[in-house]
Amino acid sequence: MGRSVEPAVTPHVAVTSLSKRFGASTVLDRVDLSVERGALVTLLGPSGCGKTTLLRLIAGLTAPDEGSIVIGGVDVTRMPPHKRNVGVVFQSYALFPHLTVAGNVSFGLKGKSLSRAEMAAKVQRALSLVQMERFGDRPVRALSGGQQQRVALARALAVEPNVLLFDEALSALDRNLRETMQIELRRLLKDIDATAIFVTHDQDEALTMSDKVAVMNAGRIEQFDDPVRLYARPRSLFTTRFVGVSSELRGTVAARQAGQLRIDTPQGPVLAEGDLPTGAAAVVSIRPENVAIGASDDQERNRIEGRVRSVIFQGPRSRVAVDVGASADFIVEVGGISTPPSPGDAIVLSWPASRSFAFADARQAA
Amino acid sequence: MTAAFARSLAIAMMALASLFLLAPLVVIALSSLSPTPVFDLPLGGASLRWYAALGSLDGLWPALFLSLEIAILSTAVSLAIGTLAGIAIVRRIVPGADILAAAATSPLMMPGLVLGIALLQYFRSLGLVQTWTSLLLAHLVVTLPFVARTMIAGLSRFDFTLIDAARTLGCSFMSSIWRVMVPALAPAYLIAALFSFLASMDNYPVSIFLTDARAKTLPVKMLQYIEESPDPSIAALSTLILVATLTLLLVADRTIGLHRLAGLEG
Amino acid sequence: MSRALEEAAAPPRLAFRAPQFSAGVLLALPAVLILVVLYAVPLARLMASSFVGPSGLGFEAYDRILGDPYGRSLVWNSVRLGALTTVVALIVGYPAAFGLAFARGALRSLFLASLFLPLAASVIVKSFAWSTLMRSHGVVNGVLMTLHLTHAPIRLLFTQFSLISGAVNIFLPFMILPIYTVVAQIDPILTEAAATLGASPARAFMRVVAPLSLPGVVAGVSIVFSLSVSAYVVPTLLMGESYPTLATTIARAFLLLRDPALGSAAGAILMAIGLVVVVLSRRFGEGDVGR
Repeated sequence: MGRSVEPAVTPHVAVTSLSKRFGASTVLDRVDLSVERGALVTLLGPSGCGKTTLLRLIAGLTAPDEGSIVIGGVDVTRMPPHKRNVGVVFQSYALFPHLTVAGNVSFGLKGKSLSRAEMAAKVQRALSLVQMERFGDRPVRALSGGQQQRVALARALAVEPNVLLFDEALSALDRNLRETMQIELRRLLKDIDATAIFVTHDQDEALTMSDKVAVMNAGRIEQFDDPVRLYARPRSLFTTRFVGVSSELRGTVAARQAGQLRIDTPQGPVLAEGDLPTGAAAVVSIRPENVAIGASDDQERNRIEGRVRSVIFQGPRSRVAVDVGASADFIVEVGGISTPPSPGDAIVLSWPASRSFAFADARQAA
Repeated sequence: MTAAFARSLAIAMMALASLFLLAPLVVIALSSLSPTPVFDLPLGGASLRWYAALGSLDGLWPALFLSLEIAILSTAVSLAIGTLAGIAIVRRIVPGADILAAAATSPLMMPGLVLGIALLQYFRSLGLVQTWTSLLLAHLVVTLPFVARTMIAGLSRFDFTLIDAARTLGCSFMSSIWRVMVPALAPAYLIAALFSFLASMDNYPVSIFLTDARAKTLPVKMLQYIEESPDPSIAALSTLILVATLTLLLVADRTIGLHRLAGLEG
Repeated sequence: MSRALEEAAAPPRLAFRAPQFSAGVLLALPAVLILVVLYAVPLARLMASSFVGPSGLGFEAYDRILGDPYGRSLVWNSVRLGALTTVVALIVGYPAAFGLAFARGALRSLFLASLFLPLAASVIVKSFAWSTLMRSHGVVNGVLMTLHLTHAPIRLLFTQFSLISGAVNIFLPFMILPIYTVVAQIDPILTEAAATLGASPARAFMRVVAPLSLPGVVAGVSIVFSLSVSAYVVPTLLMGESYPTLATTIARAFLLLRDPALGSAAGAILMAIGLVVVVLSRRFGEGDVGR
């Protein structure tokens, strides 16, 4: 369920069967995760899914109830945080207000028997990685949000940790700065060949920055894949809904044929990829950009009819909402050049069966 | 030493400090039950005679009323003045706001005795000999710093756009202060009022120089009692005050939480 | 459209359209009047009058105090009382403040009540109660004898021990509360950050928590020192005449001896000590206004 496919090397961070309970509720339920050296991995999910708890367990700020954590080949499950050599960048940055920028960055270096020259050199190197070389003597209170974030990062980098952990570290920045930082951060981490784990609820951020994404839901990892496969080949209804937009149809599995399912829906029979028993209640999902307007003779394509409810112009594309008689409108993306249909038009939609997926419907149609 | 051990040690220290601080109060309460006219623990047996005797204590009630009067009046005036000044300081609409804030809270660190003698000579030179007026004026200086400190802290957390909203809805500036800010700052007011009231009621160093043979405040009267004929009647009075305060603290904890009195939110 | 929003977001100006700060001046005026007329002026006059002796202007009154061994002992006694009380209160109060910050719920309320309740009892009655505890057949001696730490009652009354312990008892809340206020607001995430940077719990305390607790310590030390160096009731009731301080001298000079010059000189010295405390506390602490 959550393992990466055949790791070529021993994973740098390996979490096995990790569980954590707070009182009566189980926040993490036997979670497995492997992160390769040099990989940038994101834990993505809604609030309450356990992603922050998992990160804190890896950092050692909380202790697990069951399971083990191995970092760099060492079992750190019972090790206190100050011995694990992990770097953490917190959402609120957690800069020490009584120290300057240099004081913060050098904090983890004190007590490692470095000469003053060596320490100063490491501090400068860390600061130059985040382009804050000239800010060494500034008090941290005088810095802007973006600057504080860089200092927090430099501070974590200075101790050359085994793995870097980012706890919603970009969420306090405004949108433009956040998008710039996402790209910069990925480039920087790749340059220094760092292993990093991010926690975020922002799927755009996850897709932009990561080599692999672990989608989490209610204490479990639903899918652990690279962003492309996650988007194009979601393996659960939750992942389909959480990552990207999709339209859905409900029905019952009528037949299984050649790796695909034929599902009877109120809108007609529909072919989709999936593996469900005949007679099972199913939900079929399809991404808006894969739906075309107009009839097609191609037998590989599904077809339904509906009436246009609204058209929203978004510049390079338009988003068309179509009433097909389902509980929610079908969303279709239309490219910029073509003329979108008008509200009220009767319309025919088609899409390839290989691009839509059928999942079990946990909830019976009302 | 692990973090958990240090934590337990700190809590134990606070527990010991609590017992240490409550010890004299227990002694006071027990002494009030003393069967003999000696201010001591009731080893012989308990008696309520000192509570009964409270009514007939010479000069006690006038002193109590005078102290209450002065305390309530000076607290009320300080609350009003301190709030207005606090607004000016926090909103920085007065030049030298920082200096003013420091000046307003500095009497807390000035020895009360020094202030007492300074005011004594000053009032005399102005020809002000009336006890009541000089006490009231002096207690304004005693209570103002407590109000200033609490109100500055509370006002710096107040959202002033609420005043804007009230003014767009038809209130004048003063009216919006009264109708919007005062209710929102109610906890701060309670705390400021409590501290300044107690500071005034218990004030000895300033009051001693401004009272005379006819008009004494409660602390002055009590010290006189103790030095002349220390019997448990003052213990009885103090115990009553303590019980009243304990009730007040219970109510405060239920309504706003005792940690607010220490100046913390949440 | 955005300019209007910008203006709306700025701090509100008041209705009167005179120079910008005139409204603020009006608001602050009553307080400033009180501080000037009833505080600054009287103190300045006191300072001035301390330089007036029987033979005109001079340091005559100061000579009587500082030039005289007895006078110097007054200053020494006052400072000693202040220093000892402050040190003991700090040693007890610093860990206790942390204990208070760690406590939750009912325990915290109980602790806070034990700090606030004594403030409602008059310092006079508390001091007298303390002397009751210190009596030969008082509670402290009783406990000591029960624990077999001593065979006969120790004379505790009118000793330095009862004076300092009594002063600490009266002033301890003023040490604990300011430290608690500061410590309770230290974000726990800072100790977590320190741990992820390799600091053991002990080092995290020394390098993060302790420095951040300093403003509270400065406030507590300033208040307790000011109160105890100028205390009158506590030494009078617990030591009688055997521990003369500047404070007791001031009271005697004005109330008994009718010697205003001496009282003013002692008062001026005490005021100077007070000013030093105020200046030092602002230098080492933090004054936050409206932030």
